[in-house]
Order: sequence, then C-alpha cells, then structure tokens
Amino acid sequence: MENEKRLNDIAVVMAVLNLAVILYYCLICVVTTYRLCDSFGAYDFLASVRRLPRYPWLMPAQAVSLYLLLSLLIHGKSRREIYSLRDRLLVCIAEILLCVGVIASLNFYYSGVALLVLADLVHYVQRNRVRLCFMVILIFIFAFSKFEIVSLVSAPVAFSDYLGYYDQFARGFFTGIESILVSGNVLLFVFYMILLFTGERAEKERIRKLNQQLNDANIQLKDYAVKLERMTEIRERNRLAREIHDTLGHTLTGIIMGADAALALFSAAPEESQKRLQIIAQSAREGLTDVRRSIKALRPDALEQRSLAEALEKLVENFRLTTGIEITYEQLAGDLAFAPDEDDTVYRVIQEGMTNAVRHGHATRIEIKLTRQENLLTVDVRDNGLGCEQVEDGFGLRHMKERLALLGGALTCGNRWDTPEDCHRGFFVTANIPVREKEGGLPT
Amino acid sequence: MMRRYKTWLMAFLAAVLLLGMGTACGRRGNATLTVGVYSGSYWGTPTGDCYQILDETIARFEAEHPGVNVEYVSGISADAYSEWLAQQILKGTEPDVYFVFPEDFNLLASSGALENLDGPMASDPAFDSAAYYEPCLHTGVFNGSQYALPYESVPTMMFVNKTLLEKCGIAVPDNTWTWEDFYSICAQVTDVEKHQFGVYGYTWLDALNANGAALFSEDGGSCDLAGENVQEAIRFVQRLNELNDGYTVTSKDFDLGGVAFRPFLFSEYRAYQPYPWRVKKYSGFEWDCICMPAGTHGSNTSELRTMLLGVSSRSRNKELAWEFAKLLSFDETTQQKLYAYSHGISPLRDVAEDDQMLSQLRGDIPGGSSFSRDVVSSIMQTAVTAPKFDGYEQALNMAQSAVTQVMTSNDALNSRLLAAQREINIYLSKS
Repeated sequence: MENEKRLNDIAVVMAVLNLAVILYYCLICVVTTYRLCDSFGAYDFLASVRRLPRYPWLMPAQAVSLYLLLSLLIHGKSRREIYSLRDRLLVCIAEILLCVGVIASLNFYYSGVALLVLADLVHYVQRNRVRLCFMVILIFIFAFSKFEIVSLVSAPVAFSDYLGYYDQFARGFFTGIESILVSGNVLLFVFYMILLFTGERAEKERIRKLNQQLNDANIQLKDYAVKLERMTEIRERNRLAREIHDTLGHTLTGIIMGADAALALFSAAPEESQKRLQIIAQSAREGLTDVRRSIKALRPDALEQRSLAEALEKLVENFRLTTGIEITYEQLAGDLAFAPDEDDTVYRVIQEGMTNAVRHGHATRIEIKLTRQENLLTVDVRDNGLGCEQVEDGFGLRHMKERLALLGGALTCGNRWDTPEDCHRGFFVTANIPVREKEGGLPT
Repeated sequence: MMRRYKTWLMAFLAAVLLLGMGTACGRRGNATLTVGVYSGSYWGTPTGDCYQILDETIARFEAEHPGVNVEYVSGISADAYSEWLAQQILKGTEPDVYFVFPEDFNLLASSGALENLDGPMASDPAFDSAAYYEPCLHTGVFNGSQYALPYESVPTMMFVNKTLLEKCGIAVPDNTWTWEDFYSICAQVTDVEKHQFGVYGYTWLDALNANGAALFSEDGGSCDLAGENVQEAIRFVQRLNELNDGYTVTSKDFDLGGVAFRPFLFSEYRAYQPYPWRVKKYSGFEWDCICMPAGTHGSNTSELRTMLLGVSSRSRNKELAWEFAKLLSFDETTQQKLYAYSHGISPLRDVAEDDQMLSQLRGDIPGGSSFSRDVVSSIMQTAVTAPKFDGYEQALNMAQSAVTQVMTSNDALNSRLLAAQREINIYLSKS
C-alpha cells in the first residue's frame, strides 16, 4: 500500500515535469517567433530555415490541450474501476494515441511523454502479453519520434533554429534547462519502474504465503468437519437408543409382564384375565402414542412448526438465499394436505434433490415442480448442472428410494440431456408418490 | 460513477464538434479575403496612387462575389514589404493573396508558403496560360510547378545619351545592334581626358544573357562558369573596361552626361521620360532607350523581372484567392490599367501588344520612340529570367566573386574559372 502511494507520487511528479517540458518548448517557439518579428529578423529567419513554420498559437494550443486530455485519462483511469476488458484496452489505446498527438504537436522536439504513458500502462495492465505489446510500441515511439528522424520525411522548423536567435549565453542557458528537464523525466521513469517491479515481486511473495496459510486452514477445517459428523452421529444414536429404551422398552416390558399374568390367570380367573388384557391393550395404545411422539420429535423442525406448503416455500427461499442459485418453484398439486410421513418424504426428496444439484452438479439453476393426478403426486427436481456419467446411488438417493418404497412410490433419476463429456448435462429427480386420503392415513 | 464519466466525455466531444462546426460555418457565411500589397513602386520609380488598380479590382471582385469582403493593409513600403510578409508568415497571419517580389519567390516557394497553382490553372476553364508571355509565366515556376502568376514585367533596357552621341557624330543604334556596334561606339566615345566614357554598369551577367549563355542548369544541378559563351562574355566586359584605362565609371558620371550607355530598367524609362520627370532627372542631356546589344552567339536579349502574385498555401479561401489572383493577373481590364498607374509591361500578350496601349506608351514619350509592336513582342518573348532553385543566391555570389577576382587579377581565365566552377558544383550538389 505504501509502495502504491509512492508510485503514485512519482507519477504525479512525472506528469508535472512533462507539462513543464511542453510549456518550455511552446514558450521558446512562440516567444522567439514574436521577438524575431519585433527585431525585423523574420525574413532572415525564413531564409535560413527555408521551411514554413506552423501557426505560432497552434503548438501551445494543441500540445497543452492534448496533454491535459491525456493527464485526465490517466487520472480518471486510476480512479474508476473499468471491468470490461474491451473498454480497458480501448482506454489504453486512446492513451497511446493521445501521446503520439502530443509528440507530433510539439514538432517531435520531445518524445518523453511516451515514458510517462509507458510507466502508467505497465502499472495498469496486468496481463503479461498485452503489457509487453504496449511496452514495445511505446519504446518504439520514444526512440523514433525524434525531430532528426521525422525531418527526413516532413519538414518542420528545427528547435535549434529558434534557439539560434539568441546569443551564446542564452542559448546555453536554455539548452541547460532543456537537458535537466528531459533527463529528469528519464530518471523518474527509471525510478518508477524499479519501484514497480520490486513492489510486484514482494506482492507475489505475500500472496504465495497467504495461499499456503489458506490451504492449511482448509485441511484443518475438513478434518474438523469429519469429526463433527461422527460426533453428531454418535449423539443421535445415543438419543435414539434412549428414546427406544424409554418408550418402546418401557411399554413392551409392561405388555409382556401383563400378558404373562393374563396367561396365568386365564383358566383360574378369566374375568380377571380379561381385565388384564384390557389394561394391556390400553398400555399398548399409550405406548403407540409415545412412539408417535418420539417419531414426531425426530421430524424436520420446519414441518413441526408449519404446514408442508409453507415449509417448502421456506425451504426453497432459504436455499436460494444461502446458495444464490436461481430456483423456480411451481406448486401445481393443489392443496398439500397429506399424512405426516408423506409430508416428510416430499420435503426430504426436494431437500435432497436441491442439495445434490449444488453439491455434485454445480448447477446454477434448479426447477422444482409439484403436480398431482388423482392420487398420484409427482415431485420433479431438475437442474442445469454437470449431471453424471453413471448414476450411482449414494446415501442420499438410496435413502430417498427407501422412503418412497415405504409409501409404495417410485423414484427415477438421470441426466436431462445427452451431450458429450465435460458439458453440462443437467440432472433430474422425479418421485411418484401415491398419496392416501387424509382420513385413510395413520389413525390419529 | 462510470456512467457519469462517460456522459462528461460525450458532452466534451460534442462541445468540441459544435465549436468546430460553428467556426467553419461562420467563416463560410461571410468570407474575408486578405491581400498583401506594398505601397510605392517596387521598381524604384515614383508613382501616383499605388493602390488605385487594387482598389478598383477589389470593387469589381466584391461586386462579382457578394458576401465576400476583400481587405488589405496599406502603408507597407516596398522596402519593408519582404520583411513584413516574412513576419506575417511567422505569425501565421499571412494574407490569402499576396504580391511576391521576384527575388523572394524562390524562398517563398521552396519553404512551402505558396500554394501550387497547377491544379486550379488546369481545372479553371476561363484560364489559359498561353495568354502570357512564356518568360513572364516562367518566373513563377519552381521545381516544374507554377507557384505564382505574373502581374507586371519590367525588362532591362539600354539607356542611350543621345546628346553625347550626337556630339561625337554617332547615330543612335537601332534595336538589332550587336556587341561589335556597342564596342566600336564605346571606343569612339571614350576619352578619359574629357571625362567621357562608353558605358556604366554593364556587367558580365548582362553580357552572359546577350551571348545566349546560362550560368546554371535549369534545375540548379550544375554550373557552367567555364563554358565557352560565358568566357566570351567575361572577356567582352573585360575589353570594355580596358577602354577606361583603369578609371572606374560611377553613376554620377552618367548623371552628369559623360557616359553614353547604361543598362536600366524599362520602368525608369517609363517613369522619367514624361514631363516633368524628364527635366528633373537628367537635365543636361537628351536620352532614349533601346534593346540590349546582341552577343556573338546570342540575340538582343534582356533580363526580365516580373512582379508575381501568389496564393497562400494556408489560405482558408483558396478558391476565392485564386479567383482574385486571376482577376489581378489574367484580366485584361486590370492589366490595361498598369499603363496608366504603373511603369511595367503587362505579361499578357494581348494587352502588351494592343495598339491602344502601344500608342499610350508612345504618347508618354516626346519626340517619338522606337517602341513598336514587334520590339515589345521580341523583347518579351526572348527575355531571360533568373533561375530559381535552392542555394541560387549563394552559388551566384560564389560565381560573382570568382569572376571579379579573374577580372582584376588578369590571371589565366580558363583555369581559374574551372576551379571556381568545380567549387560551385560541389556546393550545388550538397544543397
């Protein structure tokens, strides 16, 4: 960050220095022109240069305005982030064109502006090949935009002709200023490049280290996740064991004991035995209620608190929010009033389908559709993900199939499109569930 | 943020475009043509109203082109005109159309200040370059292209002191006289004791023209200083000088009536022949002017100097500028006025050889003159003009000093000239 600030400072100094050089050349040319006219030396000057000088106001007007435009572009470019690659390239090309414009409007007396633009573009462009390309172009401009070379083709008035008007002392003075300004620009450029490249190397080293740290942290996190999963599994097993022991164990023990007593009393006191059997039946009913309560405790929270329709809305919305995936959810099955086990299955199928689409398919869009024909409910989950080469039943799919089998339903799944390898084939999961009438469900 | 930035950029570009279009339209709507002109006479002769022709032409031009305004800066004397023009070119404010002195033409054409007129000359159906005398038109040619139109020409003529010749019993020679006539008259007249001399100011360059020799090739690539005809011309001038027995004749000797011949510009003749100038200038003798004498290998050729008209290469109204230059140079009405207000000869054949003009010319001159249509025609058609190429002035200076050395030192003519010629050729190949 500090390096960046220092680079910026040098760039600003360079820009100011270049403006000074441009003003210097403009000033000498314009002032000399008018002094020549005032001292009646115009004819001799014209006879010695034998060239048509450009309009005296043209050089300052063109050079300064083009240079200001160039500075504005350099400044604006660093202030505003441009995301489009094409726009970035266009801005760079515009900068180079403006640079050539400035040099040409100065009659090619000075080409140091190319160094300013070179420093700026090397800093700005990150792609190595483009950067190299710009470097070659600008070094070419810097090296060949010299008055001596250009005057072979076209014929502007030489800067030395303007200086020739002054006496030896003034000439030496002006040449001195010129060489200080010009070499100052070159020095600043060299300094800028050194700072830029050393800074870049340090930055690369820092990024490498950070990357290493991140990798280590990732591995730790994975280990931790595995451990956590195992611990959760054990805890859940314990809870289930407890639950079975507390409810089913307790009730069954009571029933066995009651049944044994009833058997013993059956011949001696049938009335007593009948009474006992009534108590056993009562106890078994209570046990069933307990079992049902236990199962209820194991149900998804969402279904516990709201209806299936609301729970599904919530599920899709949450998933959309957490993953940022585009999900379309169409509920065309009318009133979703099913038995709790059916509710569970529908809920789990959709949940599992969405999770798979993201986890395995890396999908960006998921379509969910619920339809119903008579008593057949169809749940359809489709994605635009990678799909898979061969459908292998993982834990999730097997679990879904088991759940559906319990309800007499079926599950089909596979790739949506038959496209070549490495393309997005998409994946679909379709579950058909024969739903019972509400009254025909588990007795309440 | 980005959008605002783009909006500003678009607004800026639109403003620049509008400004450019505005200025372009503004210029077109009310065009102003500027003319560069000097006051007084370039030929060094007194004139009346020097702007008369220009004013009348401007009035005609403005009537023909409504909405066009022609302007000029008055009061720039002919002496200061070249410097003034150079200043305007340096400042970028040079006029659209300007007069070009023959000695400045080379510089202005080579530096690119003058517009190449080949295009408009070829494409303008009203223009015909054959209407001009060839030497006049040729004055405005540089590197094979026409960069200026001739406006007014003045040939070099020989002034004759009629009184002195009469005193010596010699008849005034006619327009076809030769070096031999010239030399014999000079020999007869010259009497150092009586302060009487043959000629003043007849240089080896005059002799060169008369002997049909050219010092430089047309393109300025080589010099022919040691050529046969050139050497002959130099020897002839040497012979003339030897008549004076080492005495150097001055212009005062001529003014006092002691010299028989003096090369002079035709404009002087025009200016000083009519009353009252003729009395004022040379009161002591009667004088006339005839063609230059013909050399052994040449004819009665004189050097022609032509005032030119150029169009600025940076003019914003080049078409109008061409029209105006054409109206000054090519229009017979304008050219006829030269005889009333100036002292030159029109470069247009039809005007120069017009009977009315010729009679006006003769009417100015008392006692009749030898100027007939044939004389004017032959002078103008055979006249030579100074060559134009980069480095001409310097090369001529080198030749001048070499010849002056040869004449004063009486060295072996051929070898000295060959040495100088080699030197000049080296210079020319470099420039």
